[in-house]
Amino acid sequence: MINWALFNTEIYFLITAAGFLVLSLLPKADAHRDYQTALALSAIGVGVALAGITQQGDIFAQAYRIDMFSQVFKVLLSMGLFLIICICSELKSIPERLHPEFYFLLVIATLAMMILVSSVHLLTIYISLELSSYCLYILVYLRTEHKRSLSATIRYFIIGATASAVMLFGLAILYSFVGSAYLIDIVNTLPAIIDRPIVIIGIFFTLAGFFFKLAVFPFHFWVPEAYHGASNQVAAYIATASKVAAIAILIRVIALSGGHSEYLAKVLICLSIISMTVGNLSAIVQKDLKKLLAYSSIAHAGYALIGILSMNHAGYSGAVFYALALLILKFTCFFVVIKAATEGQNPTMAHLAGLHQRSPILALALLVALFGLAGIPPTVGFTGKLLVFSAAIQQGYFFLVLIAMINVVISLYYYILVLKAAYLTEPDRPLSELPTPMSVKILAAAMITAIVAAGFFPVYLIRIAEAATAVFI
Amino acid sequence: MDMQYANFPYLSTLLIVCIAGLFTILFLPGREQNKIKWVGVVFSGITMVISIFLFIAYDKNIGGLQFVERVLWVPSLGIYYFNGADGFNLPMLLLTGIVFFTGVLSMWELDTRVKEFFALYFLMVTGVFGLFMSLDLFFIFVWYDVSLFPMYLLIAVWGSTRKEYGAMKLTLYLLAGSALILPAILYIVNVSGLKTFDLLALMAPGTLTPLQQKFAFIFIYIGFGILAGVWPFHTWSPVGHVAAPTSVSMVHAGVLMKIGAFGVLRVGIFLCPEGWRYFAPLMAVLATVGIVYGAFVGLTQKDLKYVIGYSSVSHMGIVGLGLSTLTVEGLNGAVYQMFAHGIMTALFFSSVGYIYDKTHTKMIPELGGLSRIIPVAAFYFILAALTSIGVPGLASFWGELVVFIACFKVYPVLGVLSICGLVVTALFMLRVVQKTCYGPPKEHHTHIRDISFAIGVPRMILSVVIIFFGLFPSFMFDMIETASSSFFKGLP
Repeated sequence: MINWALFNTEIYFLITAAGFLVLSLLPKADAHRDYQTALALSAIGVGVALAGITQQGDIFAQAYRIDMFSQVFKVLLSMGLFLIICICSELKSIPERLHPEFYFLLVIATLAMMILVSSVHLLTIYISLELSSYCLYILVYLRTEHKRSLSATIRYFIIGATASAVMLFGLAILYSFVGSAYLIDIVNTLPAIIDRPIVIIGIFFTLAGFFFKLAVFPFHFWVPEAYHGASNQVAAYIATASKVAAIAILIRVIALSGGHSEYLAKVLICLSIISMTVGNLSAIVQKDLKKLLAYSSIAHAGYALIGILSMNHAGYSGAVFYALALLILKFTCFFVVIKAATEGQNPTMAHLAGLHQRSPILALALLVALFGLAGIPPTVGFTGKLLVFSAAIQQGYFFLVLIAMINVVISLYYYILVLKAAYLTEPDRPLSELPTPMSVKILAAAMITAIVAAGFFPVYLIRIAEAATAVFI
Repeated sequence: MDMQYANFPYLSTLLIVCIAGLFTILFLPGREQNKIKWVGVVFSGITMVISIFLFIAYDKNIGGLQFVERVLWVPSLGIYYFNGADGFNLPMLLLTGIVFFTGVLSMWELDTRVKEFFALYFLMVTGVFGLFMSLDLFFIFVWYDVSLFPMYLLIAVWGSTRKEYGAMKLTLYLLAGSALILPAILYIVNVSGLKTFDLLALMAPGTLTPLQQKFAFIFIYIGFGILAGVWPFHTWSPVGHVAAPTSVSMVHAGVLMKIGAFGVLRVGIFLCPEGWRYFAPLMAVLATVGIVYGAFVGLTQKDLKYVIGYSSVSHMGIVGLGLSTLTVEGLNGAVYQMFAHGIMTALFFSSVGYIYDKTHTKMIPELGGLSRIIPVAAFYFILAALTSIGVPGLASFWGELVVFIACFKVYPVLGVLSICGLVVTALFMLRVVQKTCYGPPKEHHTHIRDISFAIGVPRMILSVVIIFFGLFPSFMFDMIETASSSFFKGLP
């Protein structure tokens, strides 16, 4: 007998998605109606996810686990969806008649990620991962300027398809050695056989699919292109919610090894260092803000990986905290640059010129978010970095942390360049004030408060992160 | 160390006043420039009063830590909100209070983006106060960064002379320092096995093995040393000082560089005494090179602010030399010199700021005869220069004297070299005074009005402090002694 009550968050989002499917069938396009519906439904979605945070249990023949870990991530994902929909009020880069489809795909992608974080069976993991990826492929393509988004989509799709083919191969190898596709069986068997080369290869192939999602080197090539080609809101979604889900599933899978494999840790250290360095060094030269944020998210994948590769409780909970931090910080950055590029075009440094006069609160939000991404206290970004770094030091990875900190200094350089564009550069011709309705001001103020408050009073969030990852020890 | 818990959280009040000032400024409309300045004056004035009160109210007979506030902040990591005042940080808090207040007054004539300037200025000083009073490694790091990151905008928006370059260089250098400090802090916390960021708990003898102490010390020394302007990591400092606006230069050279030296003392020397002993000769050599190098480079400068910038490198070398002697006198002298140099540089930048505002130049060849045109402003400038030379009766003299006495016992050769460096400093300071304040006045400057009483207030306060501690150094030395002698007793 399946206890459907455990599945209510997912059911809610499924119904929401069905609702948008119905809306898309209506003859008259109405952007405002779609936006209001999406906003209301996703706000309720956050409530539904929050209500289910303490649920526990297994459903679907033990292939689907509801625990603190999955439920915390479901809250984060629904928050991500809600925040992204908040900035969809002027969806100028997507044709109006496609708006219901846009929301439909967003909701389905979120639903797929929710299933992903609850999956404890190789098949459900694979299926949900593919479902979310396919939604994102289409979302990237949905843009008025088809030429640019088409090439981005094709690149995204080819790399994605390759990664998931490799991953499927890895899953097959794992299955053939363990004889079961349940993660619980793999956990029990794997530590004994993890030193066999073929098993290691199996694990790495499996990880390829997740690395693709998180944009870890060497699966990061799609990121700048996809961000650049996609409409701004979709890029924001990929940068936030999608990364959160990737961190969640990586924690689940890496935790399988039980921290017994030095070899695995070493490879992950290398990948983390290369991701940070490549991301940060490439970001320095970017003028297009979305590309800059894309490269910075490659670097952030490297930082998040530090927590995961520490393979201890502090590291996992640090990574969960880091996922939250990334969600808030990246969203705030996208929020500001999307508001600055009023016509839905790709935001560049030039769009930020004179922002401190055109909208002081947005400029302040950008400042706080950028310093948060750079890991400057007292922001949530710093606390996240502190947690993952201290986990790595516990494992004795002093020089990894040192390299990461040097990377932080490099990244500071380009964050400051963005800041300079917003605070110092004067526009070529005088620009009018940015229209900032009350809702935008409130959202900006809320994000600033959240970033700083979570930096100064992280204790409750840390507790939640620790409770969420308690299942892995 | 004894701890006296506070019946009233004076130290937190200091922070709360700063933050309250920050928020008041943020919520005032940007047009109301005068109101913003008055808010700045009132709130910074309160902090100065509190810092003076703390300095006086500290019971020197009992010693130890007083006004202690300790709250468990993040239990799972062992982070405490832990503030306390002792003989090392009270002089620094006093210094910050004075420089903060006089800095606000020195910016009275600012008229561009006033609101943003004062908001960032308050944020920066909050970080400085927090760092000096904190006894928890986590908070020390947090405040360190809080005091640094407003710097970029403060210099890049309101500065002069290659301001964007100077601001970027400064920010990256100083945050590179924090890149070394954070891993070292996490390393110390982790190898101690205590799961706490509490500085006093980590100070217990035997927490770290000598090898671990040496390893951690070098990172902390270089990390904080960058901010203290230790040669060869000083290059950000003259450039940054020159680019910064007056009050930012004041806080920056006056207080922020002391954060560096204070960090070496509080984190490096307190937690890793073995590392300190091991690396002391290196510290002494770098400090001496800094003293001599700063003096000789200062000799060739044409820009007034560069002159002060390089003399700061030289004077901070004296602090470093004092710290490297491993003696009570050395520590006393170093902390005294930190205080005296802070006040002195603040006066220096404040008076140069006035001269620059009026003459629109800070190039030495373009100035002359200022003591005839603006005698009062020139007086402040000359007083600062004399303090910088170390004339007896002015504050800096005592710090330098005590450091050199300590130094001659331990490193006689380096002491002699450093004294030579000081002679060169005296030479170039006198040369600068002679060229700018005496000689024929420049014609296009003759219309300049002298400093008015109201505008002169900050310089007056600083001058009084310099003369007071020049005449009564024991007020300060007694205070520092309570901390330094008990610190040496606590050493194994």
